[in-house]
Amino acid sequence: MAILELHDVTSGYGEVQILWGVSISLQKGSMTSLVGANGAGKTTLLRTIMGLNKAWSGQILFEGKDIHRLAPHTRAARGLVLVPEGRQLFTHMTVEENLLMGASPKRARADINRNLELVYDMFPRLKDRRNQKAGTMSGGEQQMLAVARGIMASPKVLMIDELSLGLAPFLVLQLFESLKKLRETGITVLLVEQNVQMALAVTDYAYVLAEGKIEIEGPSKVVASNPEVKKAYLGL
Amino acid sequence: MMDALIRSLIDGLLLGFVYGIAAMGLTLIWGVMNVINLSHGSLIALGMFSVYYLFVGLGIHPYIALVLTAVLGLIFGIIIYFIAVHRVINAPELSTLLATYSVNMMILGIGTAIFTTTPRNIPLDLGSIQFGDTVITMTRLIAAIISVGVAVGLFLFLKYTRPGRYIRAVTDNRDAAEIVGVPSAQVLALTFGLGTLLAAVSGGLIATFFPFTILSGETYELKSFVIGVLGGLGNPVGSLFGGLILGLIEGLVPMAMPTTWTPVLEFVLFVLILLVAPNGLFGGEE
Repeated sequence: MAILELHDVTSGYGEVQILWGVSISLQKGSMTSLVGANGAGKTTLLRTIMGLNKAWSGQILFEGKDIHRLAPHTRAARGLVLVPEGRQLFTHMTVEENLLMGASPKRARADINRNLELVYDMFPRLKDRRNQKAGTMSGGEQQMLAVARGIMASPKVLMIDELSLGLAPFLVLQLFESLKKLRETGITVLLVEQNVQMALAVTDYAYVLAEGKIEIEGPSKVVASNPEVKKAYLGL
Repeated sequence: MMDALIRSLIDGLLLGFVYGIAAMGLTLIWGVMNVINLSHGSLIALGMFSVYYLFVGLGIHPYIALVLTAVLGLIFGIIIYFIAVHRVINAPELSTLLATYSVNMMILGIGTAIFTTTPRNIPLDLGSIQFGDTVITMTRLIAAIISVGVAVGLFLFLKYTRPGRYIRAVTDNRDAAEIVGVPSAQVLALTFGLGTLLAAVSGGLIATFFPFTILSGETYELKSFVIGVLGGLGNPVGSLFGGLILGLIEGLVPMAMPTTWTPVLEFVLFVLILLVAPNGLFGGEE
């Protein structure tokens, strides 16, 4: 069953159109990757799904209901959660305050203690630093915090923009391991990744976005062996 | 001579706490939503009239009237936000400046028509207490204590409650607040309401010891700007200290020169601070 579906979505900034009719579909409980070159429109697509950018046309269905007119906070309240590019943490607030902010939606408040335990278990580093201001942490720790803040919202669909950007390889591995664990809890994940090889290795299904349109889609393994993908994105 | 000096000092300091919370209202709105609230002064004046009419008209004790005034201020501020500020909140700062200025003109216009500009006075005399040779007016002492209480209350609210955390989050990063599920427009409305509450309460307190008209707010608005710059705009704690400095000036100037020099000195200080330490003596929001 599809939990999130986009039909022919167009969007952009001001006069500049970035998305030219994107249709994707996420199966409930699946892990999907969205890959593509810089400037292909990946971040714009996630921002449009979240409502930070308006969809110019098309439909965005979340659990079967059209949400494209809802404010971002209402979408978040329904269980659609974004871990944004550039982390977008509350830098003047402490680590724990950031995590509590993540649990703002009503449906997440009952789970606060369980989720805190979960993320501290997943990222012990955050527990050590819970009283530190988020803005004073290293890039890797901030990325952990951004993902952890997303988990605190008890998401139904968790969208992560550039999980590995600027991180040391061992950290990237650790984060991907955490994602696999998350998936066992039934969360649907949409992963935007520059590290195409890694993304295709951990996800079930993949979309390749090029110039604002879906160019290739299919099970991740099939996409990984697509000659065009190999040449353009995997450097093979 | 020495007694008079100490008395002026104490009077000034007590007044400074009240100025502090007036400035806190201005600086909270600026710090959270980047809006320079030019209706601040007329909201202070409305606070004065609110306490006056609740007391003189309905016989409610001024300090209970103050609590009602705080509630009315909060509600009125939220209404102003949705009517006048919300639609221009993402526009350049000039638009919000003009929007709040028109609110100011409306309040002053309607206020002048209804209340005229005859000075009012709240007939409240609680006497004074004596410490050694110095005499402290009770209304001023109580106003200072209430002001400190309000300031501490605001601090605890911002630090430890969920809405307080939301306000800090929206200040920090409005987009991020939206994506974690915070209704940011409502949070901004609440902030404007709190700023108005602070203005109204400070006005109500001032009215317990100074005469006033609907136009009196302007003086206190200008003081709030000086204090805001002294303490660092967007820094509520700095506002309290800035208020004390201004209160001191106000207490001491009359000892040495005519009172009319007070605003001159205050604005010389204002310009100096802008030149030397534009983030304020106690640091701004960034």
